[in-house]
Amino acid sequence: MSIRLLALIPVAAAISLALSAVVDAVALPLFLDTTGTILATALAGPTVGIATGVVTSAVNTLRNPTFWPFVVVQIIVALYAWVAARAGLFRSFRTAIPAGLGLGVIASVTSTPISYLVFGCTTTGGIALTTALGKALGLPPLGACFFGSFVSDFGDKAVTFALVTSVLHALPRRTAARFPWALRAIGAA
Amino acid sequence: MTGGRLHPFTLLAIAGALPALAWILPAPAGGAWTATVALVLTLTPGASPGLTSTGSSPGWRPGLVVLRTAVLTAAPFWLFLLLLHDVPTTIAIGLRITTMVASFVWLVAALQPARLVEAMVAAGWSASVAYLLAATLSAVPVLKARARRIVEAQRCRGLSPGGGIAARLRALRALALPLVLSALHEVDERALALETRGLVPGIRRTPLAPPPDPAVEQAARWALLLACLFALFRRFV
Repeated sequence: MSIRLLALIPVAAAISLALSAVVDAVALPLFLDTTGTILATALAGPTVGIATGVVTSAVNTLRNPTFWPFVVVQIIVALYAWVAARAGLFRSFRTAIPAGLGLGVIASVTSTPISYLVFGCTTTGGIALTTALGKALGLPPLGACFFGSFVSDFGDKAVTFALVTSVLHALPRRTAARFPWALRAIGAA
Repeated sequence: MTGGRLHPFTLLAIAGALPALAWILPAPAGGAWTATVALVLTLTPGASPGLTSTGSSPGWRPGLVVLRTAVLTAAPFWLFLLLLHDVPTTIAIGLRITTMVASFVWLVAALQPARLVEAMVAAGWSASVAYLLAATLSAVPVLKARARRIVEAQRCRGLSPGGGIAARLRALRALALPLVLSALHEVDERALALETRGLVPGIRRTPLAPPPDPAVEQAARWALLLACLFALFRRFV
């Protein structure tokens, strides 16, 4: 791994964690905590993306220990983003947003068993309330837990993919060309 | 021996073993035992941010702050569990989550990142791995402060973060894009700084002041690992 890609990992992880300040300002029910993982993967490939996801989870765990079991989700997000970057799905919102919605489904399928078995579906207040809503609608416990995860992940990942697409297109070509995957991710190479 | 004086790897081993045992041992007795140990740990004199006080100095008062942090972090989970589950399930899962929360809150209070980095380098870990954790921990507050400045600057230019969802998403883009792009432009500067300091991937560094790692602590870490494996074996075989 080159020294530039090594320097990218903590920057991308810090982006994931610092975006919460922006989300607070616009008061949207989003996490955007996988932005750095997806961005690092689209710029530099799966190894850097997975490392960013693991570092993000590790540092997040020091603030809230319930994040660590979800490190698996960060790894799956990185792998999915790599496939999306290889296919050039970051070339426009028209391709990126459906790809993000697909990731939302995969992320909620992945996080549901962890949330159900480890935390009894109580990872955040929002997820607990939507899970309670799912139970009230007559869903079985695991189905209600998936409903809670799905509601929180589906829109979040679509917005994250759209944001990463904006960043990749806003990067000057000279800067983008310094990262091995950036131009391919936006369909320019 | 206090948490602040233990080797960083021992602190990590304890904070990892307690939640593992909470999930492995039969509920609710196993969870009650591990949660009690974890909560008692938050009262130890070393469990106070920036302090490595001993029994003779006023370490207990900060310890209560750590205990309060652990209790306040774990409390919402009990509420949500009661909302979703019956009482026996709430107690079983709640004790496990309390163990996890208290262990990590204690770890964060007792573990000094600089000592961890020294210990990792002394143990032969690549300096790159130590850099990743330390650099991220230091970059997060810097980027958060920058994000707040960007929010204020964009508001001065007339950006309104309110309105409908579409307006809020447009505002999100206007706030997030400068933050992310400015952070990415720093990558080259950081890479140059790392090269200047000789932190090339794969290179071994000499730690300046490695924390002592007594044989007793090394044995204790192995004992914790074996205890977890034995408990797992007893539970499922």
